[in-house]
Amino acid sequence: MEQGTIERDIHVNASPEVVFEVVSQPEHMREWWPDDARFESVAGAPGELVWRDADTGETKTVALAVVEVDPPKRFSFRWCFTEPDRSGQALLVTFDLIPNGAGTQIRMTETGFRELGWEVAVLEEQYRDHENGWDHYMPRLGAYVARLVAIA
Amino acid sequence: MSTAVDDELWSAIGDPIRRTMIDLLLSDGPGAATSLSRRLPVTRQAVSKHLAVLDRVGLIHAAPAGRERHYQVDEAQLARAVAQLSAVGATWDARLRRIKRIAETIERHRTNNEGG
Repeated sequence: MEQGTIERDIHVNASPEVVFEVVSQPEHMREWWPDDARFESVAGAPGELVWRDADTGETKTVALAVVEVDPPKRFSFRWCFTEPDRSGQALLVTFDLIPNGAGTQIRMTETGFRELGWEVAVLEEQYRDHENGWDHYMPRLGAYVARLVAIA
Repeated sequence: MSTAVDDELWSAIGDPIRRTMIDLLLSDGPGAATSLSRRLPVTRQAVSKHLAVLDRVGLIHAAPAGRERHYQVDEAQLARAVAQLSAVGATWDARLRRIKRIAETIERHRTNNEGG
């Protein structure tokens, strides 16, 4: 394993177009990661990820910057910047989508840990999924997709 | 857990030459700077410096062997360094599983709508 890089592959039974929407649109991202995601899916666009503490109501906002938007092949963004205003070092997350039969292979890489050190890795780990487990999540997903299909 | 120490541990293991040295010490057993430098594209002096970095963060330990010092990997400390990055990887596994479920649910709904 290359220390300092996380690399993951997963096969999805959905077209690259659908997968691209899910990884690159903020309204989808907040279903799989933070409590809120605000950004335009355009290269260079600034954005924010928001986590909300369910008990205290306190929020934590983390800056993000969209790097590359190449539908339906690649979406990448930077986050965990070391300096204000999205400058300095940052972690780079890239989703590469490869057609695979009727579905899509997602290759996710997150790089920059070696440059940023362990402190940022701890931080990254703290921004875990806003909910743990599918028990809580699945009922919401049904309603969410129903809304989505109604709009389409 | 001390963050400063972990930062050092991380950068110690982040260097490709040092990773190769750890691999060699794991596969061949304890070794000296001289024998390591024969297997690596760097000078003996450079090997000594890398060994000092690894020693400082506890990834290897030295023991006198004749006129030389033999270095041995601390497997517990190595496992700890690897586990730290694995913890971050695990959170991505969960995120990707969600991406998969969402995308597949959307795909199924779209296919059903087209079909019906």
